[in-house]
Amino acid sequence: MKKIRRSMLFLPGANAAMLSTSFVYKPDSIMFDLEDAVSIKEKDSARLLVAQTLLLPVYREHGIETVVRINALNTPFGLKDLEAVVRAGVDVVRLPMTNSAEDIHELEAHVERIEKECGREVGSTKLMAAIESALGVVNAVSIAKASPRLIGIALAAFDYLVDMQTERGDGTELFYARCAVLHAARVAGIDAFDVVYSNVNDDEGFLKEVSLIKKLGYNGKSLINPRQIELLHNAYAPTAAEVENAQKVVEAAEEGERKGLGVISLNGKMIDAPIIARARKVIELAKYSGVRKEF
Amino acid sequence: MYSLVDFSVVDISKSLSEREQIIQLLTLSDLNLDPQVNIFIVANMDGKMVACAGIDNNIIKCVAIDPNYRGNQLNLTLLDHVIKYANEQGHFHLFLYTKPENIDFFKGCGFYPIVEINNLVVLMENTPVGIKQYCKQLSEQRQNGAKIGSVVMNANPFTKGHQHLLEYAASQCDWLHVFVVNENVSLFPFDVRLQLVKEGAKHLKNITVHASSSYIISRATFPTYFLKDNIKIDYAYMGIDLLIFRNYIAPALNITYRFVGTEPYSQVTNAYNTSMRYWLQDKDVSSYPVITLIEIQRILEGEDIISASLVRKLLAAEQYEQVKRLVPDTTWNYLEANLDSVKKLIRSKGN
Amino acid sequence: MKIKKDAMAGTLESSDLLVKVSPNTGIEIVINSDVNKQFGDQIRTVVDQTLNDLNVTDGLIIIDDKGALDCAIKARVQCAVLRGAEEENLDWSKLL
Repeated sequence: MKKIRRSMLFLPGANAAMLSTSFVYKPDSIMFDLEDAVSIKEKDSARLLVAQTLLLPVYREHGIETVVRINALNTPFGLKDLEAVVRAGVDVVRLPMTNSAEDIHELEAHVERIEKECGREVGSTKLMAAIESALGVVNAVSIAKASPRLIGIALAAFDYLVDMQTERGDGTELFYARCAVLHAARVAGIDAFDVVYSNVNDDEGFLKEVSLIKKLGYNGKSLINPRQIELLHNAYAPTAAEVENAQKVVEAAEEGERKGLGVISLNGKMIDAPIIARARKVIELAKYSGVRKEF
Repeated sequence: MYSLVDFSVVDISKSLSEREQIIQLLTLSDLNLDPQVNIFIVANMDGKMVACAGIDNNIIKCVAIDPNYRGNQLNLTLLDHVIKYANEQGHFHLFLYTKPENIDFFKGCGFYPIVEINNLVVLMENTPVGIKQYCKQLSEQRQNGAKIGSVVMNANPFTKGHQHLLEYAASQCDWLHVFVVNENVSLFPFDVRLQLVKEGAKHLKNITVHASSSYIISRATFPTYFLKDNIKIDYAYMGIDLLIFRNYIAPALNITYRFVGTEPYSQVTNAYNTSMRYWLQDKDVSSYPVITLIEIQRILEGEDIISASLVRKLLAAEQYEQVKRLVPDTTWNYLEANLDSVKKLIRSKGN
Repeated sequence: MKIKKDAMAGTLESSDLLVKVSPNTGIEIVINSDVNKQFGDQIRTVVDQTLNDLNVTDGLIIIDDKGALDCAIKARVQCAVLRGAEEENLDWSKLL
């Protein structure tokens, strides 16, 4: 089964308590942040702490993917971060401020060298690109296709909106970027992640945004508070009616197959391969996350 | 787990409203604002100040937490911020004043008690080996003899009065340990003061001149000593300094006598002399042996009682012939050779 | 490796630890822990091992533990030592 990535929980890399306990919230991925959440003076300590934390078996045991947001490679910290986390066995390296495919190629070359140096299987370190600028959005397709190591691209709003000379509002400001990044991801066959929702006390606003990006087709969202994980997972869980319908579709398909029917219909509507595939996904997701609870 | 506490550094000499809030917080903890503390780390929650901790160089004081917010992570996080702030200013060895009832909490933050004035105040430091290690080093300079004396002086600068005190004390003892106050808040920098004491005492063969440390009349052990205005005299702090001397320094060197000059001018120094009689000689305030205090009369030059403060006044008035009468040749030679820089010091620091 | 200057790493927050290092002749370790009675020996083992891996020969190491996991103890000790030894070039094979 393909890794499901709905929730990517951001954790400040310098915070020992959060780093070692956050697996209990069961996000799909945990992203240890060495970049914006860590002050310049603590870059060294956070790097060591994250590296040691990555060695813990708990994440693998709970099926939680580990992601580290390193500092940009043109800072004094980026390469040091990379040296540490690739050796410590991180699943995915997230590159901030990706503007072009060349940025990914540069990162990839370093990763490959480190993998060889430390004896890690070449290619086993996956990558993720964060798109945080107008240039990055415009180059999204070439970025998304830049490396077979890429598992996804993420839109990050703060710097992008500064670049666009606007600010966070009702979502209109992200309209083009959300569509562009999502299309790029789909063209490349990788996952797409939406921006963080920073007002942790506004569940209603959060859910409204989740509903929007889910409809668009996003795989998931970056999160800054563990409280948001359950809300997000629930919003992504299929409803009981959806599951029921999907089961009927699959049953009808299986029956049609048994009978050797070319065209299958359910309640008078024709069901084709994409509908069957979608139904199988719904059932799979329901097994993984349960059925949506109504609050 | 995502705390909504906002920590910030506040300079209360620049913010009256925050000064008021801090005073209120301190009052809730039955504490007063220490006049030497301007920098506070404060914690705000929902727009309300709920905790504060003052820091004066490497000394943490005036730590208070709103009673409604005690008993959680707040106190540890507050201390953590203070330690980090001190660190960034280059201070690693930290001292902390608190009430004895808080000793256990601060032990949990890595502070170890040095001395305690019953029910009033305790001085702690953030290392378990600080004073122990200092005393171990001191004890390497221990001298044999039945009568080991001590003098602690600032010598700002070294006068004939100081010289007389050392000569007298040395004549009464098998060995004399002299500590020169090691803080750069006096007119003359520490290096100069130490050098002038050493030169002025060269003729005495049974003495060791030590650079003093954080543990003897320092900003940490005796903050009042370094206040410009001598109005507020804190006897508790004097007890701290003197108990450290009695419980740690004196045993390390077998010191049983302390010599001082009588103090006609400085109110603080005079109060310190009075405190010495109590804290060094009272049998009940410490389990360590009594240190006998010997006060000797200041000597006169003409009609003037010789004192360093008088020398500084005369220097400021550029009455160099008068200065020359009050200081040993060794000190005068230095002053004469460095007159320009001395003038500059007086202009920049006052006397 | 020798500790050349005073340095610190970590915090006093719960599940973390504060490590202070100072120059010293030989190794001296002081551990002050909320959970000392229960886990004192285990903390000591992690600290010893970490110092050993870094080949620290001289330094005073003071630890105020707030119930940190071994990985945090290791990371904080490493960081304080590297800061105190003014060591820039890291050998990750020894650190991980």
